[in-house]
Amino acid sequence: MTAALPSVNDHFDYESALAGCAARDVTALRRLYEHAAPYLLGVAVRIVRDRALAEDVLHDAFVKVWSHAHTFDPARGAARGWLFSLVRHQALNLVRDRLRLVLPDEDMAQAIEDEAALAAVAGTAPAGETRVMLGRLAICLEQLDPPKRDSILYAYVDGCSHSEIATRLNAPLGSVKAWVRRGLQALKECMQ
Amino acid sequence: MSDDWDALDDLAAGYVLGTLSAAQREEVARRLPQEPGLQDRVDDWEARLHPLSALAEPVTPAPRVWAGIARSIGHAEQRPKPATPATGTPGWWHSLALWRGIAFGATACSLLLAAMLGLRAFAPPAPPRYVVVLAAPQDKTPGWLIQASSPRRLKLIPLGAQAAPTNRALQFWTKADDWSGPVSLGLVQADQSLDVALDRLPALQDNQLFEITLEPAAGSPIGRPTGPVLYIGRAVLVR
Repeated sequence: MTAALPSVNDHFDYESALAGCAARDVTALRRLYEHAAPYLLGVAVRIVRDRALAEDVLHDAFVKVWSHAHTFDPARGAARGWLFSLVRHQALNLVRDRLRLVLPDEDMAQAIEDEAALAAVAGTAPAGETRVMLGRLAICLEQLDPPKRDSILYAYVDGCSHSEIATRLNAPLGSVKAWVRRGLQALKECMQ
Repeated sequence: MSDDWDALDDLAAGYVLGTLSAAQREEVARRLPQEPGLQDRVDDWEARLHPLSALAEPVTPAPRVWAGIARSIGHAEQRPKPATPATGTPGWWHSLALWRGIAFGATACSLLLAAMLGLRAFAPPAPPRYVVVLAAPQDKTPGWLIQASSPRRLKLIPLGAQAAPTNRALQFWTKADDWSGPVSLGLVQADQSLDVALDRLPALQDNQLFEITLEPAAGSPIGRPTGPVLYIGRAVLVR
């Protein structure tokens, strides 16, 4: 599955678009939207898994860009990262709130998963996708054991909770929590 | 070496990765503005993991999304660039609540008008008023079709949907935007159509959520979905 991937070094000037938004220039917001909206909607769709909900996320995120562009601080990171993070967190807040509604607590989720019957619909492993990634992160991810790598990808790209990863990998919740934590530790160390 | 890994790293990395619960996410969001140390680590993790965003395939938004944004920030489509002052407090026209209110009022008026005209024009036969396609969340394969010829009755039709494994059941749920949680519409078979009367529920609404989840053979023991979502979709009003 090698769909056309957006390059992480895309040449759009996110910094000046955000500066335009902070100066209340609607055309700057429009330019930002026209360039980035399909990538951002793609990120949101993967996390919330519903097209209409993802479009709501995109709407709310751009309204937030307009009202919060002046808080963007280039010293703390790139504008592209700021924008993508804003959309991801908007999407994650939505799915975590929904999960809180559907599954009152993690114990219950675990009790259900201990029946181990949900494995029948486990998702497919994203192994092939990892190769197309860019830079140091790709190298560091390749060095992780597959369960750690898959746990991190399922969480970041698909917005999976620990319980959902446990279902997909047909593994106990405790193991998944340990894989995620150790995987992140190894990534931090590898990327230093 | 992971000796410099501490509780703050756990929190920051979990926040950026997305594995924290809703309550933990709220806690981090509350602490971030006051704790530069936590903010620094969150920034580091955002930068480290950002390349993974490229794994999500782009999806082109519907034109109404931009129209909605323009409305929400107080800029109608026809007037893309009114000269607003660069400083000073925003005027009433920047009030999201106000514009949402006006937009909602206008939509309600047009729906009422459309309903009245519709009633007059074609009194007896009511065509299907809502349709929902329930698709698999991962690959968007359509699995079920819902037709509702009135807001009080709907028909669920399988389109080659996946059957439940042995000792499990498929359960059909719905939730409108303002309900506190999903309501069960019963267990379903992947090879059978099902007629459902919504007599104990509010009338069907535009955008109402429907889903089919995998549950224990007797259905969810707690009256809410417990298993994974196999198919999901929203009601679309057919005009």
